[in-house]
Amino acid sequence: MSVPYPDIPEGLVAVDAAEAAVHMHVDAALYPLQAVYGAAYVFLDRCYVFLDRPEPGRIRVTLTARGGQADAGALRALIGEFANELLSCAWRHQITQDNRVLLETVTMQAVAGAMGAPSLDDLASFDFSDQGFDDPLGIAMSWEEKHGKKPKPPGEVAP
Amino acid sequence: MTGADWIDLRFHRTLYAGEAVDEAVQRYRRHIECELREHPEAWHVRLRALRPELTVRVAHELANYALGLTVQRGGPTP
Amino acid sequence: MTASLELAALRPRAGTQAFFRYRPVGDRVVITNFEGNFLLLTRDEFAAYAAGTVPADSELHRRLSQANFLRADYDVRRAAERLQARRGFLHSGPNLHIFVVTLRCNETCVYCHASRANMDAVHTDMTREIAEKAVDLALRSTSPFITIEFQGGEPLVNFPVVRHVCEYAADRARQLGKTLQFTMVSNFSLMDDEKLEFLIAHRVQLCTSIDGPEALHNAQRKLPTMDAHQRAATWIRKINRRYEAMGLDPTLYHVEALLTTTKDTLPLWKEVVDTYVGLGCKALFLRPIDPFGFADRTRLRVDYPRSQYLEFYRNAVDYMLALNKRGVQVLERYAAIFLTKILRGVDPNFLDLRSPSGAGIGQLAYNYDGKVFTCDEGRMLHEMGDDRFLLGDVHTGYRDIVGHDTVRSMVLASNLDGQPDCVNCAYQPYCGTIPTFNYKNQGSIFGQMRTSAVCSVHKGIQDYLFERLTEADPDTLAAFDRWTTIRAREHFVQPVQPPA
Repeated sequence: MSVPYPDIPEGLVAVDAAEAAVHMHVDAALYPLQAVYGAAYVFLDRCYVFLDRPEPGRIRVTLTARGGQADAGALRALIGEFANELLSCAWRHQITQDNRVLLETVTMQAVAGAMGAPSLDDLASFDFSDQGFDDPLGIAMSWEEKHGKKPKPPGEVAP
Repeated sequence: MTGADWIDLRFHRTLYAGEAVDEAVQRYRRHIECELREHPEAWHVRLRALRPELTVRVAHELANYALGLTVQRGGPTP
Repeated sequence: MTASLELAALRPRAGTQAFFRYRPVGDRVVITNFEGNFLLLTRDEFAAYAAGTVPADSELHRRLSQANFLRADYDVRRAAERLQARRGFLHSGPNLHIFVVTLRCNETCVYCHASRANMDAVHTDMTREIAEKAVDLALRSTSPFITIEFQGGEPLVNFPVVRHVCEYAADRARQLGKTLQFTMVSNFSLMDDEKLEFLIAHRVQLCTSIDGPEALHNAQRKLPTMDAHQRAATWIRKINRRYEAMGLDPTLYHVEALLTTTKDTLPLWKEVVDTYVGLGCKALFLRPIDPFGFADRTRLRVDYPRSQYLEFYRNAVDYMLALNKRGVQVLERYAAIFLTKILRGVDPNFLDLRSPSGAGIGQLAYNYDGKVFTCDEGRMLHEMGDDRFLLGDVHTGYRDIVGHDTVRSMVLASNLDGQPDCVNCAYQPYCGTIPTFNYKNQGSIFGQMRTSAVCSVHKGIQDYLFERLTEADPDTLAAFDRWTTIRAREHFVQPVQPPA
């Protein structure tokens, strides 16, 4: 049975002592999903984390103690730390969005500056047959592949 | 989740990647019996452990694994 | 004591200001802008700037405009040039290559983070073959300037490989047109005249550790003969005399010494400075203790709150400034690094104090067995059982090493433009974070600056420096000017022609 914490606004957090679990409702407008993921990921080795969407615009995060046992104080601490981590992740997410161009430019320059241009040996050993190469515009296709005469299916008679 | 014989896990499509759920199920396959169903809003996994006393724990571990894989993939299936 | 700033009472109004960050320091407010210019404002001046009520014909308006703090006449090109000067290090690869030629060491230091091995552990010596491969890899760097730094253990234990690296690398660098330097960090206890002759002839810059007065040093850095300080001091003097006899300027050419500040060091700030000055040292680097290796295990004995370190730092540097006033030339390295960025607008490229940090893109560490790491701290973590910062080995291609996912992660993690707290900090243009420290202390390479010991040290030092800048004492400013004057030490650059 879920009971609320007296020091937290009603409806946000509830503890389920029998299940050694604590639930938190997260407003998706305040905390982007990436922030929820970031905070959840940090807690995966400490407890069991489950996400659900009880209604549009809200995420329910359930943290369950490993071993199936935890007192109310431990659960209160757990959800408090999760809420802190969630806020931290939300802020990091915002900063990354705001400074995305700066971060990408500096990273690219730093790595490109360190790596330098590839040598002929580097190019010779580069695997151009990588399956994961997306080519929606067909840039990597040769002209013959794109526009050349297609071989006739066997048995078809020429017009 | 309940401590009953079978446990139903509902992985909401907007929160979990389907491939992550599949991979998590495959990971724990040899420890469980399970049924997978697709619903418009979620993937449902109904499972119980081959050792019944471990059902709750395996369900939790499977769900954690699915969430971890989802995060590593960057989010739910578009 | 810095009084807090009541923002609500200031009634700030955006519109006239270009982007800025601010921080109260003493009775002033430091403001910095995007490209790292700074101004020290009185509280009233800051209030007017924040409220957008600075009269156009005022001296304050002129200062703000000249330093590029006003939106109406913000000079984008000038800002871009300043930013380029600060981030010039991004255009080339690792310049510092740390060669851990052995883990064997004859000293036992309470804070050692090198994961030392006993003197019979010859399997921890780097071989000639691995050393040559490491040199080849290092010289593949896109940086035209390469420094090979010999470390250990105690590098003199594996002197044959040190000798071979010096000869092999110098020859290869000449063929490739690279500018090459060597440095060595040694306790000097195994130095002899023959080794010294070679090192001097091959222009190896020599650094050692001095923990302060003899009793403290010998208690923290133990030799079986219990005379580590005496041995180090003897060789410091001998080497300095040799440089002078060679006609080299002693203010520029001398043995560098490094300090590791432990709990026992803190009350001895005056004695530490006096010891260094007495040995002819021109610089102290007042480094706080770090969390790697032995220091991790002896933390309770040697570690301390960073507030105590900052008190030690202030006392020591105040004393050094007083000595400077009396004509004694001695600088503090941390202060010199920060002040070069603050006052000169350039980055001295100290790899642990820049954004992004130098891990993987400014430095590489080569372990005795040929494994290559993002930095020496990453190598130490490997010796502690954690391979997170391993990039490959000396057989791995150079581009695979510096293009490794881990390097990219550390670049991202140490970019202060993505770091909570740093994005709002007035010292952001001058500062840096250390991903390995964050990882070791806080569990993530990104770290959390609010609870970071490194951040508190950096903030504390910069607060101190800006307080001194506010006072504008002419002798202090003259000392700061000397501390930030970069003089090239050409003698240590390997000659283009091979020795006769």
